[in-house]
Amino acid sequence: MAPRQITEETEKYRPYGAEIKETRPYSPCRGACPAHTDVQAYVGLIAQGRYTEAFEVITSVNPIASVCSMICHHPCEQSCRRCAVDEPLAVRHLKRFAIEKSADYRRNKRRLVRKTKDRSIAIIGSGPAGLTAARDLTDLGYGVTIYERHPVPGGMLASAIPPYRLPREVLKEDIDDVISKGVELKTNCEVGRDVQFDDLTKKHDAVLIAIGLSQSRSLNIPGVEGPGVMLAIPFLEDVAFDRKPALGNKVLVIGGGNVAMDVARTARRLGVKDVSMVCLESAEEMPAWKWEVDEALEEGIKISHRWGPKSVRRQDDKVQGLEVVKVKSVFDASGRFNPSYDNDQTTLLEADTIIITIGQMSNLSFLKDSSVKVDERGRVEWNQGTQMSSAKGVFVAGEVVTGPGSAIAAVANGHRSALAIHLHLQGEAIEGNLPVQEKEKISQMPAEVLEKISREPRMKIKHLAPEVRCDTMTHFEIGYDEEEALKEAGRCRGCGGGAVVDTKKCMACLTCQRICPYGAPVVTSVSEIRPEYCQACGLCAPECPGEAISMVSYDIRAIRDSLPSVVGNIDPKRQEPVIVAFLCTHHAGVLGFDLPKNVRRVPVHCTSRIDILDLLKAVETGADGVAIVRCNDGTCKYRDIAQRVNARVKRGQELLGMLGIDAGRMEILSAVSGNGGNPYAAVCAEFAERVIKLGLRVR
Amino acid sequence: MIIGTQKPIGEIWGMVKDFKKVLVFGCNTCVAICHAGGEKEAETIASLIRMRAAQEGKTMVVNHLGAMRHCEPEYFDPVMDEVKKYDLVLSTACGVGVNFLSDRTGSIPVYPGINTSFYGAVEAPGDFKELCAGCGDCILHLTGGLCPIARCSKTLMNGPCGGTNKGKCEVSNEIDCVWYLIVERMKKLGTLEKLSEILPPRNWATSRDGGPRRVSLEHIRAFEEQEAQKSETAGGKK
Repeated sequence: MAPRQITEETEKYRPYGAEIKETRPYSPCRGACPAHTDVQAYVGLIAQGRYTEAFEVITSVNPIASVCSMICHHPCEQSCRRCAVDEPLAVRHLKRFAIEKSADYRRNKRRLVRKTKDRSIAIIGSGPAGLTAARDLTDLGYGVTIYERHPVPGGMLASAIPPYRLPREVLKEDIDDVISKGVELKTNCEVGRDVQFDDLTKKHDAVLIAIGLSQSRSLNIPGVEGPGVMLAIPFLEDVAFDRKPALGNKVLVIGGGNVAMDVARTARRLGVKDVSMVCLESAEEMPAWKWEVDEALEEGIKISHRWGPKSVRRQDDKVQGLEVVKVKSVFDASGRFNPSYDNDQTTLLEADTIIITIGQMSNLSFLKDSSVKVDERGRVEWNQGTQMSSAKGVFVAGEVVTGPGSAIAAVANGHRSALAIHLHLQGEAIEGNLPVQEKEKISQMPAEVLEKISREPRMKIKHLAPEVRCDTMTHFEIGYDEEEALKEAGRCRGCGGGAVVDTKKCMACLTCQRICPYGAPVVTSVSEIRPEYCQACGLCAPECPGEAISMVSYDIRAIRDSLPSVVGNIDPKRQEPVIVAFLCTHHAGVLGFDLPKNVRRVPVHCTSRIDILDLLKAVETGADGVAIVRCNDGTCKYRDIAQRVNARVKRGQELLGMLGIDAGRMEILSAVSGNGGNPYAAVCAEFAERVIKLGLRVR
Repeated sequence: MIIGTQKPIGEIWGMVKDFKKVLVFGCNTCVAICHAGGEKEAETIASLIRMRAAQEGKTMVVNHLGAMRHCEPEYFDPVMDEVKKYDLVLSTACGVGVNFLSDRTGSIPVYPGINTSFYGAVEAPGDFKELCAGCGDCILHLTGGLCPIARCSKTLMNGPCGGTNKGKCEVSNEIDCVWYLIVERMKKLGTLEKLSEILPPRNWATSRDGGPRRVSLEHIRAFEEQEAQKSETAGGKK
């Protein structure tokens, strides 16, 4: 973990097209992500087998990418435009795949960042918001010290999220990325206990409060005090730090949120066979994610809906159960949380242990007597436009001010605070200079496009069987293998990565409008390609006679420009023909198959993107044969590709014919995937046999 | 729109083979739309020439470039310095562009990279059809909007002739008899009786027979000439 080198390069990786994407509506997945992770870009890179680049896209905005690959509530998936076709992309799981594939790469790229600014910042708390701000500020050249009250960094990620959801070695990778930049980390250092808040403001040029919500709220009901009743966070902390909490044989969890799910499922894994939950809400109303509920039910956890806690019944000291009263409604007419009860209907839910999981708050006692104002409800007063508290130079980030939310939302807020601190320390105005959170998004696919998209079920995410996973704290979800990941990534429709028109070059010839299978272009004085229609198949770009169409997510000329280096020097004494193979990488295409040595591969995401000029260039560069290797029709995710590609190849053959070059040197091959063998090598080798009969070209 | 078609590479090779530096210069309007001579097609032709040169063992530099139109100087003037670096310009514009450019490249020859075919419409993607001959004396109001000059094989003014055959021309089964179409069209318009009037022989002076043509718009020229005058009196040069 000791960094080997110092770097001054703190510039973030920018995927191809990053600039133009900023000027256009975001893909819905990206727009939904609080940190605006460019999901379309990294899923596309995964589909092409470019895993470390996918990793770069992910981590450029998300310092806790590994964590999110395990626990993110993935709003990207909920907003995926594929939802209207079949099922959303399994984005979180793909993220996990890309990160796991890049494990060595990421460890090797850890570097100490040179401190170029003579200012230091104290960050209180090392959760998602604190870590994010620490990374950003270190990258900017500031000195950063994190104060963490726990023995390990990570905040709730380390101290509360149960390991069956977030393995600690996964969290450690993210933390190592940040700390290795040169962040000073003081663990076991609680502000207000081990160090005073005032000392921090004196010692540092700015302070960031990012302490999250680390205290459980309790219930004010009779019998709640005493043994057998515990609060969620202390319970989860005990588990996280290997202190066995004292549980009976019958555990009842009060609450219907995601933390309640964590608590119940953790209790189940501590060997308690009888775990149940009670919450005010109905199954539809409860705030926990549906998948969490489903997984808990699979694990044998029972949930009693629409009961409110009334008192803890005890005999002597021992808990006997929870008396509950029927809930009439949870929300009032204006939709506010305001439960009403039917006092005539009560019952006893038997239990010997009760864990209260009804919400959390911050422990702000360290701010007493400081100039940071806390409101009457016990929250830090802050200005959302500057991320600053009432005290100059004291900033806030994450759940301590935003209230309960997701890890990725805290990351987003951490970025804002880091930028605010930077502006403040540079003497620049903060207000108005922080990025806009809400971005315009590409709208849903119109009905006429939806019906043209083939159904392709989402790759199943496998779990350990409930009877196995309940006996252990081991992570229960099994990652995709490469074939699964490629297949899943191939389902992406590439929203926002599609065609754009250079209006200076467009001559309004209507070609794009005529050929687009999805009706995306509309030509008036120039062509405009509507992003809500565009499927990013790339068919239009090679057809445009003005070369006015380019693709947002890749360089359409890259294939052509790469050919000289791909083909390399042709040995005049060669025995084998040099074959340039344009390979459709969709589905099986990028799996680690071998091709004969004389076959020079040019991966393309779909053969639709191959231009006649690309084919000619391959011949010009000296290839003896040019193969266009398609995936078969059954797996092509776009429409009307084959005929267009056939026509281009036919034209290419015609042009070669004019030079007296045999048309047989250019051929479309079809690779049938899924037969277990190596579909590409076989067809390429057969083609090479045919080419050798035509002879080796002499230049 | 002007429709063009690419010349066979063999013919092009005959034109370019003795030059050392060749620029294939595309024109990005009419001939680009008909996929004959835009910048992209220029790139294709350049690639083919390079391959042919390699086959022949010749060393030559062949590059490509494009401009919006070769028929208006403002479009190509900005790249003229680049154009003049070559020994030969192979223009893939229509004949208008080749002519126009030829007057402006000094000692560098401009050769045609495509054949200029006709004035046509895009009937379907990649399908172009001649519909006007540019004869300079339009009579479409008399023939139901369909042109016998451009579309009748014999340019008949009073058709159809005896060679009409179930709506097709005797020259080829692929050619519609435009006089048949004119009759059908005028029936539909309710103006068929107009055809009973015999159209007099045409004065072909407005067409090619009158020599090269020129259109000069007085109202626009008047302003331009005044401006030129002013600049001359001010001692500047036009």
